[in-house]
Amino acid sequence: MSLKSLRYVTLLVAVGIAPALSAHGAPPSQAPQVPLAYSVEEFRDAIRSGGPGKDGIPSIDRPRFQSANQAALSADDKVIGVYHRGQARAYPQRILVWHEIVNDELGGDALSITYCPLTGTALGFKRGETQFGVSGKLVNSNLVMYDRATDSEWPQILGVAIDGPLANEGLEEFRVFWTTWGAWQARHPETEVLTEETGFVRNYRRDPYGSYNPISGYYAPDSRRLFPVMQRDDTFPPKRVVFGLRTRDGALAITQEALRSESVIDVALGESHYTVIHDPGLDTGWAFSNPEEISVNAAELDFTAEGVTGPGIDLLEPVNGFEAMWFAWAAFYPDTYLHE
Amino acid sequence: MKRLIKMIVKMISHPATLLLISGIMVSYTLLYLWLTGDMAGGGLGGWHATFPAWERVFEQRGAFQFEPVGLVSIGGVVWTFSPLNTLLAMTMGLLMGLNIAAGWWLRTRPRQCRLRGAGTSWLALPPALLAGGACCAPLILIWLGLPIAGALAGMAPYLVPGALLLLSVGLWHSLQQLVR
Repeated sequence: MSLKSLRYVTLLVAVGIAPALSAHGAPPSQAPQVPLAYSVEEFRDAIRSGGPGKDGIPSIDRPRFQSANQAALSADDKVIGVYHRGQARAYPQRILVWHEIVNDELGGDALSITYCPLTGTALGFKRGETQFGVSGKLVNSNLVMYDRATDSEWPQILGVAIDGPLANEGLEEFRVFWTTWGAWQARHPETEVLTEETGFVRNYRRDPYGSYNPISGYYAPDSRRLFPVMQRDDTFPPKRVVFGLRTRDGALAITQEALRSESVIDVALGESHYTVIHDPGLDTGWAFSNPEEISVNAAELDFTAEGVTGPGIDLLEPVNGFEAMWFAWAAFYPDTYLHE
Repeated sequence: MKRLIKMIVKMISHPATLLLISGIMVSYTLLYLWLTGDMAGGGLGGWHATFPAWERVFEQRGAFQFEPVGLVSIGGVVWTFSPLNTLLAMTMGLLMGLNIAAGWWLRTRPRQCRLRGAGTSWLALPPALLAGGACCAPLILIWLGLPIAGALAGMAPYLVPGALLLLSVGLWHSLQQLVR
Protein backbone atom coordinates (compact mmCIF):
# COMPACT_ATOMS: atom_id res chain seq x y z
CA MET A 1 0.00 0.00 0.00
CA SER A 2 1.41 3.38 -1.01
CA LEU A 3 1.84 6.17 1.50
CA LYS A 4 -0.94 8.12 -0.27
CA SER A 5 -3.34 5.18 -0.03
CA LEU A 6 -2.46 4.71 3.61
CA ARG A 7 -3.34 8.35 4.27
CA TYR A 8 -6.72 7.89 2.56
CA VAL A 9 -7.43 4.76 4.55
CA THR A 10 -6.43 6.49 7.79
CA LEU A 11 -8.67 9.46 6.93
CA LEU A 12 -11.61 7.21 6.04
CA VAL A 13 -11.22 5.24 9.26
CA ALA A 14 -10.97 8.46 11.25
CA VAL A 15 -14.09 9.88 9.59
CA GLY A 16 -15.86 6.59 10.08
CA ILE A 17 -15.19 6.34 13.78
CA ALA A 18 -15.71 10.02 14.55
CA PRO A 19 -19.48 9.73 15.15
CA ALA A 20 -18.88 6.68 17.31
CA LEU A 21 -16.28 8.56 19.32
CA SER A 22 -18.53 11.58 19.75
CA ALA A 23 -21.28 9.34 21.09
CA HIS A 24 -18.90 7.38 23.30
CA GLY A 25 -20.38 6.85 26.71
CA ALA A 26 -23.66 8.52 25.77
CA PRO A 27 -26.80 7.19 27.44
CA PRO A 28 -28.69 4.61 25.36
CA SER A 29 -31.23 6.53 23.32
CA GLN A 30 -33.76 5.97 20.58
CA ALA A 31 -36.44 7.81 18.65
CA PRO A 32 -38.89 9.28 21.18
CA GLN A 33 -41.58 6.85 22.29
CA VAL A 34 -43.66 9.65 23.81
CA PRO A 35 -45.81 12.36 22.28
CA LEU A 36 -44.14 15.75 21.91
CA ALA A 37 -46.68 18.54 22.22
CA TYR A 38 -44.05 21.14 21.37
CA SER A 39 -40.89 21.30 19.31
CA VAL A 40 -37.57 21.07 21.13
CA GLU A 41 -37.04 24.74 20.28
CA GLU A 42 -40.28 25.63 22.10
CA PHE A 43 -39.22 23.54 25.09
CA ARG A 44 -35.83 25.28 25.07
CA ASP A 45 -37.54 28.66 25.08
CA ALA A 46 -39.51 27.57 28.16
CA ILE A 47 -36.38 26.74 30.20
CA ARG A 48 -36.10 28.68 33.47
CA SER A 49 -33.34 28.81 36.04
CA GLY A 50 -34.33 26.92 39.15
CA GLY A 51 -31.88 28.87 41.32
CA PRO A 52 -29.07 26.43 42.10
CA GLY A 53 -26.40 26.10 39.42
CA LYS A 54 -25.36 23.02 37.48
CA ASP A 55 -24.83 20.21 40.01
CA GLY A 56 -25.81 22.70 42.74
CA ILE A 57 -28.27 19.96 43.62
CA PRO A 58 -25.74 17.12 43.60
CA SER A 59 -26.66 13.70 42.27
CA ILE A 60 -25.72 10.70 44.38
CA ASP A 61 -23.05 8.90 42.40
CA ARG A 62 -21.84 6.43 45.01
CA PRO A 63 -25.01 5.31 46.77
CA ARG A 64 -24.78 3.14 49.85
CA PHE A 65 -27.50 0.83 51.08
CA GLN A 66 -28.66 -0.81 54.25
CA SER A 67 -31.06 -3.61 54.99
CA ALA A 68 -34.75 -2.93 55.56
CA ASN A 69 -34.55 -3.57 59.30
CA GLN A 70 -31.78 -0.98 59.68
CA ALA A 71 -33.78 1.76 57.98
CA ALA A 72 -35.24 4.46 60.22
CA LEU A 73 -38.38 5.06 58.21
CA SER A 74 -42.04 5.34 59.17
CA ALA A 75 -44.58 3.21 57.36
CA ASP A 76 -46.16 6.33 55.81
CA ASP A 77 -42.87 7.88 54.64
CA LYS A 78 -42.71 8.20 50.89
CA VAL A 79 -40.12 6.14 49.06
CA ILE A 80 -39.25 5.55 45.43
CA GLY A 81 -39.00 1.84 44.87
CA VAL A 82 -37.18 -0.08 42.16
CA TYR A 83 -37.38 -3.79 41.45
CA HIS A 84 -34.92 -4.82 38.76
CA ARG A 85 -33.62 -8.28 37.89
CA GLY A 86 -34.77 -9.72 41.19
CA GLN A 87 -33.28 -6.94 43.32
CA ALA A 88 -35.38 -4.41 45.24
CA ARG A 89 -34.21 -1.04 46.45
CA ALA A 90 -35.98 1.83 48.18
CA TYR A 91 -34.88 5.44 47.89
CA PRO A 92 -36.42 7.59 50.64
CA GLN A 93 -38.08 10.73 49.30
CA ARG A 94 -36.57 12.78 52.13
CA ILE A 95 -33.08 11.95 50.78
CA LEU A 96 -33.91 12.29 47.10
CA VAL A 97 -35.52 15.70 47.63
CA TRP A 98 -31.96 17.00 48.21
CA HIS A 99 -30.33 15.14 45.31
CA GLU A 100 -33.02 14.35 42.70
CA ILE A 101 -30.85 11.78 40.91
CA VAL A 102 -29.16 8.58 42.05
CA ASN A 103 -26.73 7.03 39.58
CA ASP A 104 -26.97 3.43 40.63
CA GLU A 105 -26.32 -0.11 39.42
CA LEU A 106 -28.84 -2.90 39.85
CA GLY A 107 -28.55 -6.42 38.56
CA GLY A 108 -25.53 -5.40 36.52
CA ASP A 109 -27.37 -2.56 34.77
CA ALA A 110 -26.43 1.10 35.08
CA LEU A 111 -29.58 2.95 36.04
CA SER A 112 -30.53 6.45 37.12
CA ILE A 113 -33.37 6.87 39.58
CA THR A 114 -34.70 10.41 39.26
CA TYR A 115 -37.13 12.42 41.33
CA CYS A 116 -38.43 15.94 40.80
CA PRO A 117 -40.01 17.39 43.96
CA LEU A 118 -41.61 20.31 42.13
CA THR A 119 -43.67 18.04 39.86
CA GLY A 120 -43.89 15.02 42.18
CA THR A 121 -42.51 12.68 39.53
CA ALA A 122 -40.20 9.68 39.89
CA LEU A 123 -38.81 8.04 36.76
CA GLY A 124 -36.05 5.57 36.00
CA PHE A 125 -33.71 5.80 33.02
CA LYS A 126 -31.00 3.52 31.69
CA ARG A 127 -27.80 5.54 31.73
CA GLY A 128 -25.24 3.38 29.92
CA GLU A 129 -21.66 4.30 30.78
CA THR A 130 -22.49 7.86 31.74
CA GLN A 131 -24.24 9.49 34.66
CA PHE A 132 -27.00 12.02 34.86
CA GLY A 133 -26.71 15.26 36.80
CA VAL A 134 -29.02 18.11 37.76
CA SER A 135 -28.65 21.02 35.33
CA GLY A 136 -30.25 23.56 37.66
CA LYS A 137 -32.78 24.36 34.94
CA LEU A 138 -36.51 23.71 34.87
CA VAL A 139 -39.15 23.27 32.19
CA ASN A 140 -42.73 23.45 33.42
CA SER A 141 -41.21 23.27 36.94
CA ASN A 142 -39.75 19.88 35.99
CA LEU A 143 -36.15 18.82 36.60
CA VAL A 144 -33.93 19.19 33.54
CA MET A 145 -31.23 16.53 33.73
CA TYR A 146 -28.02 16.53 31.76
CA ASP A 147 -25.90 13.57 30.82
CA ARG A 148 -22.21 13.86 31.63
CA ALA A 149 -21.09 12.32 28.33
CA THR A 150 -22.66 14.73 25.84
CA ASP A 151 -24.08 17.48 28.09
CA SER A 152 -27.45 17.04 26.38
CA GLU A 153 -30.38 18.30 28.43
CA TRP A 154 -33.34 16.07 29.23
CA PRO A 155 -36.53 17.22 31.00
CA GLN A 156 -37.40 14.32 33.28
CA ILE A 157 -41.13 14.01 32.45
CA LEU A 158 -40.35 14.12 28.74
CA GLY A 159 -37.36 11.76 28.74
CA VAL A 160 -36.38 13.38 25.44
CA ALA A 161 -33.36 15.65 24.96
CA ILE A 162 -34.28 19.21 24.10
CA ASP A 163 -30.75 20.54 23.79
CA GLY A 164 -27.28 19.25 22.99
CA PRO A 165 -25.96 16.61 20.58
CA LEU A 166 -28.75 14.16 21.46
CA ALA A 167 -31.61 16.63 20.94
CA ASN A 168 -34.79 14.85 19.80
CA GLU A 169 -33.53 11.51 21.11
CA GLY A 170 -35.46 9.64 23.80
CA LEU A 171 -34.09 7.77 26.81
CA GLU A 172 -34.92 4.18 27.71
CA GLU A 173 -37.13 4.14 30.78
CA PHE A 174 -37.79 1.51 33.41
CA ARG A 175 -40.52 1.41 36.02
CA VAL A 176 -40.01 2.96 39.43
CA PHE A 177 -42.70 3.14 42.10
CA TRP A 178 -43.88 6.15 44.07
CA THR A 179 -45.22 4.55 47.20
CA THR A 180 -44.83 4.39 50.97
CA TRP A 181 -42.18 2.58 52.96
CA GLY A 182 -44.77 0.36 54.60
CA ALA A 183 -46.23 -0.72 51.27
CA TRP A 184 -42.84 -1.24 49.66
CA GLN A 185 -41.47 -3.27 52.55
CA ALA A 186 -44.58 -5.45 52.59
CA ARG A 187 -44.12 -6.20 48.88
CA HIS A 188 -40.33 -6.54 49.04
CA PRO A 189 -39.25 -7.60 52.57
CA GLU A 190 -35.66 -8.13 51.37
CA THR A 191 -35.38 -4.65 49.92
CA GLU A 192 -32.29 -2.56 50.47
CA VAL A 193 -32.63 1.09 51.44
CA LEU A 194 -30.52 4.07 50.41
CA THR A 195 -28.60 5.45 53.40
CA GLU A 196 -27.87 9.04 54.35
CA GLU A 197 -24.19 8.45 53.61
CA THR A 198 -24.45 10.25 50.31
CA GLY A 199 -21.09 11.99 50.37
CA PHE A 200 -22.85 15.29 51.06
CA VAL A 201 -24.03 17.02 54.20
CA ARG A 202 -27.76 17.72 54.16
CA ASN A 203 -30.52 17.98 56.74
CA TYR A 204 -32.32 14.82 55.69
CA ARG A 205 -34.95 15.25 58.40
CA ARG A 206 -36.31 18.33 56.72
CA ASP A 207 -37.96 18.75 53.33
CA PRO A 208 -37.45 22.32 52.07
CA TYR A 209 -40.74 22.23 50.16
CA GLY A 210 -43.14 20.85 52.74
CA SER A 211 -44.19 17.41 53.88
CA TYR A 212 -45.87 14.30 52.51
CA ASN A 213 -46.46 12.83 55.95
CA PRO A 214 -48.77 14.61 56.69
CA ILE A 215 -49.17 16.42 53.39
CA SER A 216 -48.47 20.15 53.61
CA GLY A 217 -46.61 23.07 52.07
CA TYR A 218 -45.83 22.88 48.37
CA TYR A 219 -47.24 19.35 48.16
CA ALA A 220 -50.75 20.29 49.29
CA PRO A 221 -53.13 19.76 46.36
CA ASP A 222 -54.42 23.34 46.38
CA SER A 223 -51.06 25.05 46.84
CA ARG A 224 -49.72 27.15 44.02
CA ARG A 225 -46.96 26.21 41.64
CA LEU A 226 -43.81 28.35 41.76
CA PHE A 227 -42.66 28.55 38.16
CA PRO A 228 -44.47 29.39 34.91
CA VAL A 229 -45.79 26.61 32.68
CA MET A 230 -46.23 26.30 28.93
CA GLN A 231 -49.90 25.36 29.27
CA ARG A 232 -52.11 26.00 32.26
CA ASP A 233 -55.05 23.68 32.94
CA ASP A 234 -57.32 24.35 35.90
CA THR A 235 -59.41 21.20 35.58
CA PHE A 236 -57.97 20.04 38.91
CA PRO A 237 -56.04 21.72 41.71
CA PRO A 238 -52.41 22.11 40.57
CA LYS A 239 -50.84 19.49 42.82
CA ARG A 240 -53.52 16.83 42.55
CA VAL A 241 -51.83 13.55 41.72
CA VAL A 242 -52.69 11.67 38.53
CA PHE A 243 -51.31 8.42 37.18
CA GLY A 244 -50.06 9.06 33.69
CA LEU A 245 -48.79 7.09 30.78
CA ARG A 246 -47.66 8.26 27.39
CA THR A 247 -47.17 6.38 24.17
CA ARG A 248 -46.80 7.29 20.52
CA ASP A 249 -50.60 7.24 20.42
CA GLY A 250 -50.86 10.03 22.97
CA ALA A 251 -50.92 10.66 26.70
CA LEU A 252 -53.41 9.42 29.27
CA ALA A 253 -53.97 10.69 32.81
CA ILE A 254 -56.09 8.85 35.34
CA THR A 255 -57.07 10.36 38.66
CA GLN A 256 -56.05 8.31 41.68
CA GLU A 257 -59.67 8.18 42.79
CA ALA A 258 -60.80 6.65 39.48
CA LEU A 259 -57.93 4.16 39.49
CA ARG A 260 -58.72 3.03 43.04
CA SER A 261 -62.45 2.73 42.51
CA GLU A 262 -62.46 1.08 39.06
CA SER A 263 -59.48 -1.28 39.64
CA VAL A 264 -59.19 -2.07 35.91
CA ILE A 265 -59.52 0.71 33.34
CA ASP A 266 -59.65 0.06 29.60
CA VAL A 267 -59.11 3.08 27.39
CA ALA A 268 -58.57 3.80 23.73
CA LEU A 269 -55.79 6.16 22.73
CA GLY A 270 -56.01 6.89 19.04
CA GLU A 271 -56.32 3.53 17.31
CA SER A 272 -54.77 1.62 20.21
CA HIS A 273 -56.14 0.17 23.42
CA TYR A 274 -54.59 0.25 26.83
CA THR A 275 -55.40 -1.33 30.16
CA VAL A 276 -54.41 0.17 33.50
CA ILE A 277 -54.69 -1.98 36.62
CA HIS A 278 -54.76 -0.61 40.15
CA ASP A 279 -52.29 -2.22 42.54
CA PRO A 280 -53.94 -1.87 45.96
CA GLY A 281 -50.73 -2.83 47.78
CA LEU A 282 -48.53 -0.12 46.32
CA ASP A 283 -51.49 2.16 45.48
CA THR A 284 -50.28 2.71 41.95
CA GLY A 285 -51.13 1.61 38.44
CA TRP A 286 -49.72 -0.98 36.09
CA ALA A 287 -50.18 0.09 32.47
CA PHE A 288 -50.32 -2.23 29.48
CA SER A 289 -50.81 -1.97 25.77
CA ASN A 290 -53.78 -4.19 24.98
CA PRO A 291 -54.21 -4.27 21.20
CA GLU A 292 -56.36 -7.42 21.29
CA GLU A 293 -58.66 -5.82 23.88
CA ILE A 294 -58.24 -8.80 26.18
CA SER A 295 -60.57 -8.65 29.13
CA VAL A 296 -58.90 -8.55 32.56
CA ASN A 297 -60.83 -9.44 35.69
CA ALA A 298 -59.59 -7.61 38.79
CA ALA A 299 -60.78 -10.40 41.09
CA GLU A 300 -58.44 -12.89 39.40
CA LEU A 301 -55.28 -10.81 39.73
CA ASP A 302 -52.36 -11.25 42.10
CA PHE A 303 -49.73 -8.66 42.92
CA THR A 304 -46.29 -10.09 43.60
CA ALA A 305 -42.72 -8.85 43.72
CA GLU A 306 -42.55 -9.50 39.98
CA GLY A 307 -45.65 -7.43 39.31
CA VAL A 308 -49.26 -8.14 38.45
CA THR A 309 -50.11 -11.70 37.44
CA GLY A 310 -53.34 -13.36 36.38
CA PRO A 311 -55.29 -14.64 33.36
CA GLY A 312 -54.47 -12.67 30.23
CA ILE A 313 -51.71 -10.52 31.74
CA ASP A 314 -48.94 -12.37 29.88
CA LEU A 315 -50.56 -11.37 26.60
CA LEU A 316 -50.27 -7.67 27.39
CA GLU A 317 -47.31 -5.42 26.71
CA PRO A 318 -46.15 -3.36 29.73
CA VAL A 319 -46.06 0.41 29.28
CA ASN A 320 -44.27 2.72 31.69
CA GLY A 321 -46.46 4.89 33.89
CA PHE A 322 -45.88 7.20 36.82
CA GLU A 323 -47.58 9.57 39.22
CA ALA A 324 -47.37 13.31 38.56
CA MET A 325 -48.84 16.54 39.80
CA TRP A 326 -51.67 17.53 37.49
CA PHE A 327 -50.31 20.97 36.54
CA ALA A 328 -47.08 19.43 35.28
CA TRP A 329 -48.72 16.59 33.39
CA ALA A 330 -51.10 19.01 31.68
CA ALA A 331 -48.24 21.39 30.86
CA PHE A 332 -46.20 18.69 29.09
CA TYR A 333 -49.18 16.90 27.57
CA PRO A 334 -51.89 19.50 26.96
CA ASP A 335 -53.74 17.09 24.63
CA THR A 336 -53.83 14.36 27.27
CA TYR A 337 -56.81 12.07 27.48
CA LEU A 338 -58.23 12.34 30.98
CA HIS A 339 -60.02 9.53 32.80
CA GLU A 340 -61.69 10.61 36.02
CA MET B 1 -10.27 56.13 54.01
CA LYS B 2 -8.18 56.32 57.19
CA ARG B 3 -10.69 58.74 58.66
CA LEU B 4 -13.53 56.36 57.88
CA ILE B 5 -11.73 53.45 59.51
CA LYS B 6 -10.98 55.60 62.53
CA MET B 7 -14.67 56.41 62.76
CA ILE B 8 -15.57 52.71 62.68
CA VAL B 9 -13.00 52.04 65.44
CA LYS B 10 -14.49 54.92 67.41
CA MET B 11 -17.97 53.48 66.98
CA ILE B 12 -17.05 49.96 68.10
CA SER B 13 -15.11 51.39 71.06
CA HIS B 14 -18.41 52.64 72.37
CA PRO B 15 -19.91 49.73 74.43
CA ALA B 16 -23.55 50.45 73.57
CA THR B 17 -22.75 50.76 69.86
CA LEU B 18 -20.66 47.59 69.93
CA LEU B 19 -23.56 45.77 71.55
CA LEU B 20 -25.94 47.09 68.90
CA ILE B 21 -23.64 46.07 66.03
CA SER B 22 -22.98 42.63 67.52
CA GLY B 23 -26.67 42.03 68.14
CA ILE B 24 -27.61 42.99 64.61
CA MET B 25 -24.78 40.92 63.14
CA VAL B 26 -25.74 37.79 65.05
CA SER B 27 -29.46 38.23 64.34
CA TYR B 28 -28.85 38.88 60.67
CA THR B 29 -26.48 35.91 60.38
CA LEU B 30 -29.02 33.58 61.96
CA LEU B 31 -31.82 34.94 59.77
CA TYR B 32 -29.74 34.62 56.60
CA LEU B 33 -28.68 31.07 57.43
CA TRP B 34 -32.28 30.17 58.20
CA LEU B 35 -33.54 31.67 54.93
CA THR B 36 -30.88 29.93 52.88
CA GLY B 37 -31.77 26.65 54.53
CA ASP B 38 -28.42 26.14 56.28
CA MET B 39 -30.29 26.30 59.57
CA ALA B 40 -33.60 24.54 59.98
CA GLY B 41 -35.65 22.26 62.16
CA GLY B 42 -35.42 18.51 62.22
CA GLY B 43 -33.20 18.07 65.27
CA LEU B 44 -33.95 15.14 67.53
CA GLY B 45 -32.95 16.82 70.78
CA GLY B 46 -29.63 16.91 72.57
CA TRP B 47 -26.61 17.96 70.60
CA HIS B 48 -24.45 16.35 67.99
CA ALA B 49 -21.74 17.61 65.64
CA THR B 50 -19.98 15.94 62.75
CA PHE B 51 -17.74 17.40 60.05
CA PRO B 52 -17.29 14.77 57.37
CA ALA B 53 -16.91 16.88 54.22
CA TRP B 54 -14.13 19.44 54.63
CA GLU B 55 -13.02 18.67 51.08
CA ARG B 56 -16.20 20.39 49.83
CA VAL B 57 -15.50 23.68 51.61
CA PHE B 58 -15.05 25.64 48.34
CA GLU B 59 -17.63 23.75 46.26
CA GLN B 60 -20.47 25.99 45.11
CA ARG B 61 -24.08 24.80 45.00
CA GLY B 62 -25.48 28.07 43.66
CA ALA B 63 -24.69 31.73 43.40
CA PHE B 64 -22.86 32.62 46.63
CA GLN B 65 -23.94 29.34 48.18
CA PHE B 66 -21.37 26.78 49.23
CA GLU B 67 -21.52 23.13 50.22
CA PRO B 68 -21.80 22.39 53.93
CA VAL B 69 -18.84 20.59 55.46
CA GLY B 70 -20.50 19.52 58.69
CA LEU B 71 -23.73 19.13 60.57
CA VAL B 72 -24.43 20.57 64.00
CA SER B 73 -27.62 19.54 65.75
CA ILE B 74 -28.67 21.41 68.89
CA GLY B 75 -32.07 20.62 70.33
CA GLY B 76 -34.60 20.93 67.54
CA VAL B 77 -32.27 22.94 65.28
CA VAL B 78 -30.01 21.46 62.62
CA TRP B 79 -27.21 23.57 61.15
CA THR B 80 -25.57 22.29 57.98
CA PHE B 81 -22.38 24.24 58.47
CA SER B 82 -20.56 25.90 55.60
CA PRO B 83 -17.69 28.17 56.70
CA LEU B 84 -18.04 30.34 53.59
CA ASN B 85 -21.82 30.74 53.86
CA THR B 86 -21.36 31.66 57.52
CA LEU B 87 -18.58 34.11 56.71
CA LEU B 88 -20.72 35.70 54.01
CA ALA B 89 -23.68 35.97 56.36
CA MET B 90 -21.52 37.47 59.11
CA THR B 91 -19.99 39.98 56.69
CA MET B 92 -23.41 41.15 55.57
CA GLY B 93 -24.60 41.16 59.17
CA LEU B 94 -21.61 43.26 60.21
CA LEU B 95 -22.24 45.70 57.36
CA MET B 96 -25.89 45.89 58.32
CA GLY B 97 -24.95 46.50 61.97
CA LEU B 98 -22.45 49.22 61.06
CA ASN B 99 -25.00 50.86 58.78
CA ILE B 100 -27.65 50.99 61.46
CA ALA B 101 -25.16 52.12 64.12
CA ALA B 102 -23.87 54.86 61.84
CA GLY B 103 -27.43 55.93 61.14
CA TRP B 104 -28.13 55.98 64.85
CA TRP B 105 -25.06 58.12 65.50
CA LEU B 106 -26.09 60.50 62.73
CA ARG B 107 -29.52 60.92 64.29
CA THR B 108 -28.48 61.14 67.92
CA ARG B 109 -25.40 63.37 67.57
CA PRO B 110 -26.10 67.02 66.83
CA ARG B 111 -24.89 68.01 63.40
CA GLN B 112 -25.22 71.15 61.39
CA CYS B 113 -25.96 69.18 58.29
CA ARG B 114 -27.83 65.98 59.11
CA LEU B 115 -28.20 63.78 56.09
CA ARG B 116 -30.14 60.66 55.29
CA GLY B 117 -27.39 58.05 55.62
CA ALA B 118 -29.37 55.56 57.65
CA GLY B 119 -32.10 55.24 55.08
CA THR B 120 -29.81 53.59 52.56
CA SER B 121 -29.09 50.66 54.88
CA TRP B 122 -32.73 49.66 54.87
CA LEU B 123 -32.62 49.48 51.07
CA ALA B 124 -30.01 46.73 51.35
CA LEU B 125 -32.07 44.53 53.63
CA PRO B 126 -34.58 43.02 51.14
CA PRO B 127 -32.04 41.92 48.51
CA ALA B 128 -29.79 40.46 51.17
CA LEU B 129 -32.60 38.44 52.69
CA LEU B 130 -34.07 37.48 49.34
CA ALA B 131 -30.68 36.16 48.24
CA GLY B 132 -31.27 33.23 50.51
CA GLY B 133 -34.87 32.65 49.62
CA ALA B 134 -34.26 32.67 45.90
CA CYS B 135 -31.18 30.50 45.92
CA CYS B 136 -31.62 27.25 47.73
CA ALA B 137 -34.63 27.57 49.97
CA PRO B 138 -37.91 28.34 48.26
CA LEU B 139 -39.31 28.11 51.76
CA ILE B 140 -40.23 31.75 52.12
CA LEU B 141 -41.95 31.85 48.73
CA ILE B 142 -43.89 28.72 49.57
CA TRP B 143 -44.99 30.29 52.80
CA LEU B 144 -45.95 33.44 51.00
CA GLY B 145 -47.59 31.38 48.26
CA LEU B 146 -46.16 33.63 45.60
CA PRO B 147 -45.65 32.25 42.10
CA ILE B 148 -42.63 34.51 41.60
CA ALA B 149 -39.91 32.02 42.38
CA GLY B 150 -39.02 31.86 38.68
CA ALA B 151 -38.24 35.56 38.54
CA LEU B 152 -36.32 35.56 41.82
CA ALA B 153 -34.35 32.45 40.91
CA GLY B 154 -33.05 34.21 37.81
CA MET B 155 -31.99 37.16 39.95
CA ALA B 156 -30.14 34.99 42.49
CA PRO B 157 -26.61 35.68 41.16
CA TYR B 158 -27.19 39.41 41.62
CA LEU B 159 -28.90 39.47 45.01
CA VAL B 160 -25.88 38.94 47.28
CA PRO B 161 -23.49 41.26 45.40
CA GLY B 162 -26.36 43.77 45.12
CA ALA B 163 -26.89 43.60 48.87
CA LEU B 164 -23.15 43.93 49.61
CA LEU B 165 -22.91 46.91 47.26
CA LEU B 166 -25.92 48.66 48.78
CA LEU B 167 -24.70 48.01 52.32
CA SER B 168 -21.19 49.24 51.49
CA VAL B 169 -22.43 52.38 49.72
CA GLY B 170 -24.82 53.10 52.58
CA LEU B 171 -22.08 52.72 55.18
CA TRP B 172 -19.61 54.82 53.21
CA HIS B 173 -22.25 57.53 52.82
CA SER B 174 -23.12 57.55 56.54
CA LEU B 175 -19.47 57.53 57.63
CA GLN B 176 -18.75 60.46 55.31
CA GLN B 177 -21.38 62.46 57.15
CA LEU B 178 -20.06 61.44 60.54
CA VAL B 179 -16.44 62.44 59.88
CA ARG B 180 -17.38 65.87 58.51
